[in-house]
Amino acid sequence: MKHRGRGVACGWYGIARTAAMDRAAVWVELDDGGTVKIATGVTEIGEGVLTGLCQIAAQEMGVRPEDIVLGDNDTARVPEAAHAGATRMTYMIGNAVALGCREAFGRFRTAMGAYWGVSAESVRAFAGQVWAEGSASKRMSMEHAVHVLKKERGIVIVGSGLFTSAHTALNPENGEATPWQSYVFGAQVAEVEVDDDTGEVQVLGVWAAHDVGRVVNPQQVEGQIEGSVVMAVGHALMEEYVQHNGITTTPGFAKYILPTALDIPHVTSVLLTEPDPKTPLGVKGIGEPAITPTAAAIINAIYDAVGVRMTRLPATPERVMEALVDRRSAKQPDEVPVAETIS
Amino acid sequence: MSDTLLDGGTLAEGCHPTTEINATVNGRKVQRTVPNHYRVIDFVREELKLTGNKEGCGAGECGTCSMFVDGKLIKSCLAPVQKINGCSVETIDDLDRDAGMSLLQQAFHKSGASQCGYCIPGMVMAATSTLRRNPGASRDEIKEGLGGNICRCTGYQKILDAVELARDIQSGAIPASALEEDAEAHSFIGQRTRRLDAPAKVTGAIKYAADMFMPNMLHMQVVRSPHPHARIVRIDAEAARAIPGVECILTCDDVPGVDNFGVFIEDQPTLARGVVRYVGEAVVAVAAETLDIARAAVAAIHVEYEKLPSLFDPHAAMQHGVVQLHAFAQNNICKHTRIRKGDVDAALATADVIVEQTYDTQSIEHAYLEPEAGLAYLEADGCVTVQSPSQNITHHRHMLARILGRPINKVRMIMSTVGGGFGGKEDMIYQGMLALAAIKTRRPVRYVFTREESIKVSAKRHPFNIRYTMGLKRDGRIVATKMVMVADGGAYALSTPGVMNKSAILGPGPYDIANVWVDSIGVYTNNTPSGAFRAFGAFQSEFATECHLDLCAQHLGMDPVALRRINLMRDGATTHTRQQLDRVLAVECLEAAIKAAGWEPGVPYRQGQGSPQRNDFNYEGSRQSYLIGGQTQPLVPRAASRSDMHPV
Repeated sequence: MKHRGRGVACGWYGIARTAAMDRAAVWVELDDGGTVKIATGVTEIGEGVLTGLCQIAAQEMGVRPEDIVLGDNDTARVPEAAHAGATRMTYMIGNAVALGCREAFGRFRTAMGAYWGVSAESVRAFAGQVWAEGSASKRMSMEHAVHVLKKERGIVIVGSGLFTSAHTALNPENGEATPWQSYVFGAQVAEVEVDDDTGEVQVLGVWAAHDVGRVVNPQQVEGQIEGSVVMAVGHALMEEYVQHNGITTTPGFAKYILPTALDIPHVTSVLLTEPDPKTPLGVKGIGEPAITPTAAAIINAIYDAVGVRMTRLPATPERVMEALVDRRSAKQPDEVPVAETIS
Repeated sequence: MSDTLLDGGTLAEGCHPTTEINATVNGRKVQRTVPNHYRVIDFVREELKLTGNKEGCGAGECGTCSMFVDGKLIKSCLAPVQKINGCSVETIDDLDRDAGMSLLQQAFHKSGASQCGYCIPGMVMAATSTLRRNPGASRDEIKEGLGGNICRCTGYQKILDAVELARDIQSGAIPASALEEDAEAHSFIGQRTRRLDAPAKVTGAIKYAADMFMPNMLHMQVVRSPHPHARIVRIDAEAARAIPGVECILTCDDVPGVDNFGVFIEDQPTLARGVVRYVGEAVVAVAAETLDIARAAVAAIHVEYEKLPSLFDPHAAMQHGVVQLHAFAQNNICKHTRIRKGDVDAALATADVIVEQTYDTQSIEHAYLEPEAGLAYLEADGCVTVQSPSQNITHHRHMLARILGRPINKVRMIMSTVGGGFGGKEDMIYQGMLALAAIKTRRPVRYVFTREESIKVSAKRHPFNIRYTMGLKRDGRIVATKMVMVADGGAYALSTPGVMNKSAILGPGPYDIANVWVDSIGVYTNNTPSGAFRAFGAFQSEFATECHLDLCAQHLGMDPVALRRINLMRDGATTHTRQQLDRVLAVECLEAAIKAAGWEPGVPYRQGQGSPQRNDFNYEGSRQSYLIGGQTQPLVPRAASRSDMHPV
């Protein structure tokens, strides 16, 4: 017979690196055709940060995302941006790109202000158009603006950006430290259906709310949350790398079981978008925080459904059945089966 | 079909009988002679250099190699090349028939269905097959159609959305304009801008390391330890050296510089130095003209080992008198992180309820769809370049320069397109061998792991054993938390120190607790090394905390949401490491999640205590359960998977 249950779990995560002062550097050039070159020493691992960096650069430079060229990922050609991980990409490199673009755009405004005879502050740009605020005639495409600055003024607009995140190491005695500058909070609810004849658990729905900061691209944020949740469904219910005397018995995907499209819950993402107060852009990150609550929410939902506490991951059908059989044979089905209480 | 034997009889090692294949591939006639043992994937990728379809597992499990043969979808890693003789093959490379992108590919682009992109060629092929067979396929039918394809990044939701979008545009239910970029708003930040790399990923055009070929390129294979702990007595590579086409054989003796690497502690040699500490550790590397010759050379190398006592259990590894795996690590302890805040014992004495429980998390494989791969070569200025899906080219360059004994500007690391990482590609486990071989042979050298090799050799998520003690007041207030965590770090440190730190810092959860005691101990064993994996340390420790809070709610007869609401950090909270926070949105997240889910408060497993069943099932956002042996109720129609945005 099938039983439904629901569980809840919270989570938190510090973003950027803990091992050292985290840093990321970027070079920017406003290029011919009203395009922009961004050079920084890292590429994405699939999360979509390159698109996000293009959106940030486009917004800061007054062009469109497709006008950006990212020269990335090469230790000999671009400045250091350190590693691709630790939920640091949007946070560290996003802010570095914003700072580099702000420096370049500041120079562009000064040059255009001088060219038009207006104040630098009145020069605006968006989506490839440049104009002087309050003037009907002073308006041109970014392509033309780059052309006139180069040809008539001999100016190439460049900038650089550096973003550093504060950190202190842990006191070895008591752990006192400021390991990260920013934290991401979250909470998830999971709904499961447990078959008490087979021990099989289906996760039907996960509702995930995360404090992701200012959102650069909601589609990518959802993608990270949905991917995290499904990875955690695997962690919670099926995945286990097994070794016998150091030799793995799960050497391929026939033995190491991963979630497929048939195993997934529907995921509802709720994004809390309050900007992070400590950075120029207000962005945070979500690559890792979203995976912290899911497995516990699922395990708690299994308890809610059938009254067995799975304390060992993964909660495979065999283990759930074993727990159900143990509980039935204990004859006191609703007594707390595992915990010791002193009150 | 004709078999050709060299010299009319025996074949040289690494050479194989060949077969002639005549086929039509993406509308073009091809005629090629290839080794008999080639599979369809080898023919398409290695012979025709059509690298759009990837090899993910070599066992028909992951589906990224899926292609059409005479219109039928096959997993090309399972099909011998002879199967396509006289047939018509369609790969992802020309699925669009020179139109840029097919409707499905455009829908993948629009929906954000590709992340790392490595599974996507197979997903697009399987989706194409599904809609060709059943243009009106339901979401569940689409799931079945994609059921043989694994994706590790996306969670499948946006892939399913994409296939539904393509289906509905094809049927005319939705206008094709739905594929276009969303209209420009006042800011590009906050827009659902379509991924700029998606067109190259959905068409298979983007190159991962294993898709790269260079002129005169050699192929690397590696002899790996069959023992968890052993002394290397002798390496006999003479027979391998004599095989024609073997260009270079490397052992630790070929490393010119200071030979060690690691993310936090540099304790691992490029190739085993005198001793092996886990099954799969690299011992000898070979570079040869062909993959077959390199494999033959590996088979011809004889390594004599003297077995040593092995440790597989981290608790046992900490006992006095057991074998020491690294000279610097007393009691095999790699890292011990402590949090001491307040007075836990005194606080527990004031608690109304003390709840104890032990939790165990497992060792977990990253299972990124792209197995490790790399390509190394020398440049004109003598710089050695390594292209690989490394997650940390900055640190890898530092370590590699020292290992090679070269100035840092003579070492260049390029991060190739990463087919999934999740932390598992932070470890420099093969780039050193590639660089050495390229320097030694002055030729490009490529190394592509098999799935089995990747699983056996690469880092895992640390398995944790967590003893939990929590003291609470009757009203649910937590007065003290004590966590003692022991994690299996495996044979080398990789990211173990960082993992132990994160588990300690974050483990007690986002809760305001005055008295906290945490011991987090990472231990060396002879298991596969554990390393970085998405939310390392936090996944394991927070799992225990969140399960434990549910157990406490059960003891206290409380709603688990209410218990959390009482204890969650608020603005200005002090963390377990005594960091002063400013803005804290923990409670806001909890409220938003339960609102979205329509959570009905109550004690966990209330029906077991004779209370009525909870009444919040079938809420919007839940899917229908599959009809396997029982009736299920239809659910409220599902909302589109667009997030709800809440400015706080």
